[in-house]
Amino acid sequence: MVICIVALVVFSIMSIWSARYRDLARQAFKCIYLTATLRPCNVQLEQKIKTKITSKLMRIPSLASFTYKNFKTISWIFTIAFFASLVYSAYGIYNLIVYGSCDPNSATCGVNQFLQIIACYEIQIVSLIIVVAIILFAYFMIKKKNIKFVFE
Amino acid sequence: MFDANKIREDFPLLKKTNIIYFDNACTTQKPKQVIDAIVRYYTEYTACAGRSLHKLARKTTEEFEKSREKVAKFINAKKIEEIVWTKNTTEAINLISHGFKFNKGDKVITTNLEHSSGLLPWQLLAKKGIIDLNFVLCNKEGEFNIKDFEEKIDRKTKLVSIIFASNVTGTKAPLEEIIKIAHDNGALVLVDGAQAVPNFPVDVRKLDIDFLAFSAHKMCGPTGMGCLYGKYDLLKELSPFMLGGETIRDADLKDHILEEVPHRFEAGIQNYAGAIGFGAAVDYLSKIGMKNIEDYEKELAKLLVEGVLKIQNLNLIGPKDWKKKNALVSFNIKGMEPHDVAILLDESNIAVRSGMHCAYPFHKFIGFDKGSVRASLYFYNTKEEIKIFIEKLTNIAKTLGK
Repeated sequence: MVICIVALVVFSIMSIWSARYRDLARQAFKCIYLTATLRPCNVQLEQKIKTKITSKLMRIPSLASFTYKNFKTISWIFTIAFFASLVYSAYGIYNLIVYGSCDPNSATCGVNQFLQIIACYEIQIVSLIIVVAIILFAYFMIKKKNIKFVFE
Repeated sequence: MFDANKIREDFPLLKKTNIIYFDNACTTQKPKQVIDAIVRYYTEYTACAGRSLHKLARKTTEEFEKSREKVAKFINAKKIEEIVWTKNTTEAINLISHGFKFNKGDKVITTNLEHSSGLLPWQLLAKKGIIDLNFVLCNKEGEFNIKDFEEKIDRKTKLVSIIFASNVTGTKAPLEEIIKIAHDNGALVLVDGAQAVPNFPVDVRKLDIDFLAFSAHKMCGPTGMGCLYGKYDLLKELSPFMLGGETIRDADLKDHILEEVPHRFEAGIQNYAGAIGFGAAVDYLSKIGMKNIEDYEKELAKLLVEGVLKIQNLNLIGPKDWKKKNALVSFNIKGMEPHDVAILLDESNIAVRSGMHCAYPFHKFIGFDKGSVRASLYFYNTKEEIKIFIEKLTNIAKTLGK
């Protein structure tokens, strides 16, 4: 389900220009809708995306194997990164409207540098992604290896 | 001399695409001869059979009944009337389950290897309390247990419903032995021939089969078309479970007189194009020769089974001896979901099936709860295709398997 959220936004935008992506966007929407209404998702979009991506990476076996085996973690990272950049972008736009600068604390981010909104927060976004990735990776590895912590 | 490459020229889809079609247990490709026969019906003589008297209707009736004759001859039925058109194998089995006169407490024996079509109709009757359903448990390789069968069958057994060739393991049931034991105990035998009739010669008289169900679309014919073979006297005893146009000779407001066998079972307008296409498919297969098809498929089975057995991380379902199998392998790759393997193969233009293959109990029995991947071949597949398939599958198993 996680990757479907990103897929819905990405494919919806892409489907403006290409009808090829409209069906995928529809499938992503159906998946989110079913999950949100507490019904089992039978769209299998996540599986399709996972195998499609893996198949494209088969020329680099180690990368294909890593992607296939850690797809859940990767999709979580993409989803969190997607929402983080969404929040930061909204924050930047808010600052731009209210203070005339996307980042009032930075001298390099002026009114005319609208396109650099994301760049203003590049370090924060990257570090956030890395931290979340490490946490998720550790979580899934612990779960996968069935490691249990005993606290006395 | 059997030449698969020459045969492929007859199949428009195989000719114009580079798809490796290994999903033949699901449905087969259609040769031009079959497509042409169907198109001819729609473009040259579209009409109803057996009703109107005009030229077009006469031609339709003639072609429709000629197809029945071809199918009867194909399985060596004694009479043309022993062939009842159905829409598929499932409907043929349901015709028996609904039309057979069971008394309370009558026993039906089937196996844990059955396709849903050969299991659910009996489950339904058992749930209604009409029959007592018993199972012969095939082993994990899908091999029929004759001893278990001998122990379970008795004089209360009215019917044995059995799959001839499995759509999961590719194994064949020892039908001659089963039929002999069943008949010795006064039971009739219904054979699900969906995976058998298309792949090797089936002689209903030699095997002494009472009822045989099979589909056209698994043997180069059109979808939505199948048939039930039944010994004439047994068909006469069967009650139709659908009545309507063409099933009666006379009717008033209170009663009706049934039409003769097989027409009493064929209610309403029939799938004329389908039946004519079925006849053309039978002609096509007969021209190639079922023995030739069987021999060639054995060669394919050898290559296929030996090839997949060399792949690491692969669990093969059913026997490892290719001689015991049809040209069909079901398997799983350790650490991968069956659907993932199928989608990855599809990316390489190889069409296989993944899932439960309508055999839920058997998959659960062998511990494959998520199903399996199935590659099923037909006589138009080539040895080169198998090599490519094995190569791609090896790569997938090596890279993504555990």
